[in-house]
This record gives sequence, structure tokens and C-alpha cells, in this order.
Amino acid sequence: MGEIAPAAAPLDRTALAELRLRLAENLRARAGEPATGAPRELLVCAGGACISCHSLAVADELESALAASGRAGRVRVVRVGCMGLCEAGPLVVVSPDGVYYQKVDREGARRIVAEHLGAGQVVRELELAWDAPDGRRLAGREVPFFAQQVKIALRNCGVIDPAAIEEYVARDGYLALEKSLFELSADDVIADIKSSGLRGRGGAGFPSGMKWQFVREAPGDEKFVVCNGDEGDPGAFMDRSLLEGDPHSIIEGMAIAGRVTGASRGFVYVRAEYPLAIERLGNALAAARRAGLLGEDILGSGFGFDIEIRIGAGAFVCGEETALLRSIEGKRGTPQPRPPFPAQHGLWGKPTLINNVETWASVAPILLRGPKWFAAIGTGRSKGTKVFALAGAIRNTGLVEVPMGISLRTIVEEIGGGIPNGRSFKAAQSGGPSGGCIPAAAADVAIDYESLQELGSIMGSGGLIILDDRTCMVELARFFLEFLVEESCGKCPPCRIGTRVMLNLLERITKGEAVPADLDTLEALGRHIQHTSLCDLGQTAPNAVLSTLRHFRAEYDAHVLEGRCPAGQCKALLTYTIVAEACSGCALCAKACPSGGITGEIKHLHVIDQELCIHCGACLSVCPTDAVDAV
Amino acid sequence: MSTGNELARVAAAETGTGKPEDAVAPETLALIDTYLRDHPGGTERLIPVLHRVQEELGYLPFPVIKAIAERLGISPIQAYGVVSFYHFFTTTPRGRYQLKVCMGTACFVRNANSVLESVHETIGLEVGGVTKDRLFSLEQVRCLGACGLAPAMMVNNEVYGYLTRAGVRKLLQGLRAKARTPHPGGEGGNG
Ligand SMILES: Cc1cc2nc3c(=O)[nH]c(=O)nc-3n(C[C@H](O)[C@H](O)[C@H](O)COP(=O)(O)O)c2cc1C
Ligand code: SF4
Ligand code: SF4
Ligand code: FES
Ligand code: FES
Repeated sequence: MGEIAPAAAPLDRTALAELRLRLAENLRARAGEPATGAPRELLVCAGGACISCHSLAVADELESALAASGRAGRVRVVRVGCMGLCEAGPLVVVSPDGVYYQKVDREGARRIVAEHLGAGQVVRELELAWDAPDGRRLAGREVPFFAQQVKIALRNCGVIDPAAIEEYVARDGYLALEKSLFELSADDVIADIKSSGLRGRGGAGFPSGMKWQFVREAPGDEKFVVCNGDEGDPGAFMDRSLLEGDPHSIIEGMAIAGRVTGASRGFVYVRAEYPLAIERLGNALAAARRAGLLGEDILGSGFGFDIEIRIGAGAFVCGEETALLRSIEGKRGTPQPRPPFPAQHGLWGKPTLINNVETWASVAPILLRGPKWFAAIGTGRSKGTKVFALAGAIRNTGLVEVPMGISLRTIVEEIGGGIPNGRSFKAAQSGGPSGGCIPAAAADVAIDYESLQELGSIMGSGGLIILDDRTCMVELARFFLEFLVEESCGKCPPCRIGTRVMLNLLERITKGEAVPADLDTLEALGRHIQHTSLCDLGQTAPNAVLSTLRHFRAEYDAHVLEGRCPAGQCKALLTYTIVAEACSGCALCAKACPSGGITGEIKHLHVIDQELCIHCGACLSVCPTDAVDAV
Repeated sequence: MSTGNELARVAAAETGTGKPEDAVAPETLALIDTYLRDHPGGTERLIPVLHRVQEELGYLPFPVIKAIAERLGISPIQAYGVVSFYHFFTTTPRGRYQLKVCMGTACFVRNANSVLESVHETIGLEVGGVTKDRLFSLEQVRCLGACGLAPAMMVNNEVYGYLTRAGVRKLLQGLRAKARTPHPGGEGGNG
């Protein structure tokens, strides 16, 4: 991952200031801010998704093409974190020109060097561009995906090389830490966080400044600061991208909190499924130590602080704060009753400040640009921005940061580019397994913590899955329940047994075996589990079912009363037939059918025997001419 | 999570006659001892040391769990309770090609079920299973962070996206063919 920062010797404040001066223009240009005299650089996305699409090979190819054309010393290739538009990866940006190239392969890399750098011509076929309805051609940062975003937590993602601490410093990195060490009192910092209105980005939305104050005021000789990077929502990658793309922003936030609360040790709990995030965070911690920004007597202030990584081991419930702290202690991650809250009684019984990755990344900008600036963004009680991992039935899958109060419609239609394959927008799922569904009818509601709760969902940590008309809401609820049954820690009977019973009921519905009373049982049981479980996993487990029952009752009724799945997803409820005009008689379906229920002669119409059909859908998926119909 | 059966096996390993240390390779014991020496501390080192050993062996055999428990001064049952609680730890060996099919929400809505089905149709594996020749093992995981490529699957450390039934079949058949032809070195499966 690029060269590790050369900052082998500790830096002092003068050296930091010099670094900022020396590299600032360059980095402003990369971020698309006005800048002069910035050198030519090729930014290659080395975020997880782009790496999966071989972006590192593209970076290597760019380097060899530069060397072959004699530009090796003059144009640098920089491997940056996720640029956001993962769908179009691997992405390459030519800076300071601001030209974005998408789906670049090795040949594309050679063309960028030969045509863009060599002949001064943009490679149109590879350029990221969009034809607006009014006929304008928008390119690069002008496309709505980028233009509609406001980046605070993600300010450096896709801009800096996460392995180069000096690039973070040049983006005014560690300046907020300096401020908290030399200019502001601990109370000033807390007052700023409070008046900014920042709320926890891990799901519950608790006011961060208040939490910081509780920990500061909690009696105790030893305190801890913890970063929750467990990211349990099974369709989300915000925290991962932040840890991979800008690890120093989290380190800085935690160090500031250490200074304010009186903690000298911090832990970042990262899930084991994120090896790249662990590696990059580990390198960043080492670089910060070498630079003297972690360790004893930071910048001669007398304040000492260091951070260790703890790796999770695959248990959703460990994202819950009390379970997470037990896991750090080396125990089974079972939640504990609150109160006492971690702020009073956390790691090893000591006062502990725990915040989410994105919350930590938002701290430094608030102290630098001021709480008023932050509070001016957003709605009445939800300030600032929120990062969402946008995925599912949407054109622009990726990572987006938007102001609170934006509408779902803007996210889906403008930023997301709409629903692909000619399908229609049905709903959005937010908050993962603890969250719920927002129907398309509510697409114009301004998104904030409160409005989502009113709709029966939650803000959650930022997973936003877009659903089209082919998604069956009952099947979706079943999917989440199945996940939660697996992940319940088993401590409380309502959660352990209740979710299992709900899952059984949902399975009956998707198989067409349910009776109308089952829907009432589901609802009553859901309310019971909400009120009697110990931790939020159990308390929110019924949300997926209750919110879909509330907004999509007709779909449940169709399954139960008519034995029909309107979205055509519940296989047991579908009747498979072969459309005569479309069948070419290739016999692939007959071979694929596990029950031997399809007959016909080669090159002649094939027929499904409904008696033998087990509704597996194998014929549908193999037919090359789409001749199999399922309704 | 943990079943009575498994606990009985741990208990048997605990009270059994042969010294369980005998069942652990000296290199593994050395690995554990080195790790614990380099990371001084208490029982909070259990999960990190389990990670380190599983990284090396690909799984956590019972005698190894017991050896770790002894060194940390906790009971084997307590250590096993931690191993069984966390999905990431496994007490059975994995295949040379570890298939991890993403069942995250984004993959689910883009028909990840068909990927699981196709794996099953091609090599007969259910989630949690290993083929007899130990060539393949199958797990389901949650979000590989490659939602744009959904439905996705990981084979060892490589992510494959936009999977179709036919694509999965071809991929697995290709891996099987590759395994049959002798090759220098390995391809990084640590199972
Ligand atoms: C079942 C469950 C899973 C959770 N998973 C996460 C998670 O993956 N990441 C996270 O930051 N918070 C998660 N939380 C919320 C944490 O308990 C806690 O509220 C959060 O870490 C506090 O940080 P914040 O105030 O910055 O949001 C989860 C809560 C529950 C009940
Ligand atoms: S509500 Fe569920 S997950 Fe939470 S403590 Fe109880 S059993 Fe465990
Ligand atoms: S697979 Fe399709 S085209 Fe081929 S025989 Fe079956 S229905 Fe006809
Ligand atoms: S990983 Fe490259 S854009 Fe997200
Ligand atoms: S849900 Fe499968 S990669 Fe994200």
C-alpha cells in the first residue's frame, strides 16, 4: 500500500505546520478544491471493492506505462481509499484535471497514460460522465452522485493515501488534536461537541457531547476510550471504508477524547472479516507513534495516549456496546443490563467512552471549523451529515455522505441514479436487522433520526438497501429474522425463543401454509419481544416484521389468503409454465429439473408436469430464451 | 451455538488419560508460547491468541484449545465456550478452497440464494460442510464490502462478483480441474 510515511523521527508543531504548507495545494487539488501549482497525479482507488476488481494491477500498469513513457519521476500514482462510486470501479482520477475514469483495466491504464497524459486528450470511452435530461453532459465531480454529497467524515476518503501520515497532516490532520492540547480546555472541547449537535452514528443517536461529559465526570483513576468498528449490519461498509481510507481521522478523534476525559488507553474493535482495515489501521497507529502523535508526552504537552486494535470474531451482538466491552476482556460477548452504562462502569469496570467509527471521524472537523458550521447542516435535532452504504436495486452502488434532512428520493433518484433494469422503486431498508422498511410513498420525507423512527425504521449505522418491485417483503422480513435467530446470544428467552417462533411463522407464510390468525400472532409476539428483551438486539428484532406488516400488509394478505406472492419471489407459491412461442426445445430445463418433471423432444416444446414440480425454480434460471414463466 | 455433544467431547478431552499436550504439534505449542510471551497480560489475550492459532492452522482442534486454556489459567470449558460463541472460530478443518458466499442484505436482494444453490448442485456442499477430499469448504458470510458486485462470493482471499448459477458452476469446475493438475507451490489456501 504505497510507502509508509517517512516520518521516522517524532514531529514537533513546527514540522507539522511545514508539512501542511508544503502539501496543502496538492491535496486541495485532489479533493477538487481550488488550488494552484498542484502536480499531476494519478489517483487509483484502493478501496476494498475496487481492489476486488483488480485496481492494484491497474495501479501497477499505470506505473509501468509512466516509466515506459519517461514520466516516472514526474507523475506519481497514489493509491487512495474508497472514492464512493464502487459500482464503477476500478476508478482512476487524473489530478489536478479532475477527470474521472471508470471500470479501468490494464489496457485502460495504458490508454490514460498515452492519450490523456501523452496527447492531452481525455479518453472519452472511459470517462465517468452522465447525460443530463436537459442535454448537458456532466462529467467527473459534476455528476449528481458526487455533486449532491457533503463530505465531513469522508473528507479524506479517496483523496489521501491512507498509508502516508503526511498526507493526512496536510489536510489539517492532527490540528484539532493540537488545538485540544494547547488552546482549548477540556470543557471547551465538550462544549463544542455538545453545541455542534453531533449524535452517535452507530445507530442509537445518543448526543455525543453528553456522553463525553459523563465519562469526564465519572470518578476513576483509569478510563478508556473505545471505537466501535464491529459494523454488524450485514449490508453495510461505511466503517470499513473509513478505517481503510482514512484511519488517522479515527485515531485523532480518539486521542482528543482521551485528553478530554482523562483516558490514556484506547481500543479499536474491528471485525475479523475486515483484514485490510485491520492492516491499514495498524500501519497508521505505527506511523502516528513514530511521529510522536501517539505515545507518551504527545507534542510536548505532557499528555500520553495510545491505542490498541482488538479483532472481533464474528458475532453480531458484539456490536452492542456492553457485549463489545466483554469481548475485549476476552469473554463471550453477552450484553449486560444498563445501567450501569459504560460511561460509569465499562472496560474492567472503569469509566469507558465508546463511540462509532463515523462519530470519531466527525470530531476533528467540528473542532476546526466550529460547532456552528456543523450545526448549520441538517435538521432540527439531527445535525451534520450521515454516511450511507447504498446498495441493492440501485444503479450507483457505493458510499455516500449526505446532509441530514435530505429526502430518500434525492438519494435514490439523483445520487443513486435510479433503479436499474426498468424496475420500479418499492422501498428502502435502513438500519439493517434492527431497522425497518421505508415505503416508496414516504420517499419525500426528510431523513433524520426522528422521521425514520416515526416510519417504523431507524437511522441505524448507515446501511441503505434499495428494493425494487421484485423483492418480496415477507421474504425480506424472513431473511432478517433468520439472521437474528442465528445471532441472538441466547441470554433472554423472549429473544431466543420468540424470534425462532416468528421465523417459523414467516416460513409458513412464504410457503403458503399460514392461516390468517398467524399474522395477528406475529404482531402480538413482536410487541412482546420488543418489551421484554434485555438488549437492543432483542428489542429491535421484530422491527423488520412489524414495519413490513405496517406498510405492506396487502402483500402478507396475498400470501396468506390467496396463496400468491405478488413479487414473484416465494418459489413455493409460484406456478411454473413454459411459454410455447419462446421455447427453442434445448432441453436444458429438463436436465436441470431435479424431480424429472419436464419432458419434451429436442427442438420441440417442453412441458412441465405440475404434479411433479417441486417449485425449485431451476428451469427458470437455466432457460436461455426466458421461456419459463413463474407467477 | 454450543451443543451438549460438543461439550461432552471437551469434557472427555479434559479427563482423558493421554496427556492432551501430546496431541498438539510442538510448533503449535511454540506459536502459542511465543505469542503469549510477546503479549504480556491476562485472560483478555484469549481471543487474540485464538485468532493467531487459527490463522496458522486454519481451525482450532480441541487439544489446542485446552493447551491455550491451561496457559491462561482458565478452564478448557470456559475457553471452549468462547470458541463456540464466535462464528469466526471453527473447530473443524476447512477445505483447500474456502468458499464464503455472501448472504449480506445487498447480495440477498440480488439473489444470493441461487449462488448457494449452485454450489450445492455442483459440489454437493451445504453451509458448514467440507468435501470428502477436503478440496472445498462452504461458509456463508455477511457483506464482503463488495455490494456493487452482488451477488458475491470469496474463494480464499479473492472476491468474485456478479455471480450467476452458470458462473459458479464454471468457477468451481475450473478450481477442481486446477487442483488435479500438479502445480508448483500452492494457491494460498491455508486450510
Ligand atoms: C445488536 C446491536 C448491534 C450493534 N452494532 C453496532 C455496530 O456494529 N457498530 C456501532 O457503532 N454500534 C453498534 N451498536 C450500537 C452500540 O451499542 C452503541 O450504541 C454505539 O457503539 C455507541 O456509539 P455512538 O454513540 O457513536 O453511536 C449496536 C447495538 C446493538 C444493540
Ligand atoms: S435480547 Fe437477545 S441478544 Fe440481547 S441479551 Fe437478550 S438474548 Fe441476548
Ligand atoms: S430451457 Fe427453455 S428453451 Fe430450453 S427446452 Fe426448456 S423451456 Fe424450452
Ligand atoms: S472501493 Fe473504489 S470506489 Fe469504493
Ligand atoms: S451484501 Fe454481499 S457484499 Fe455486501
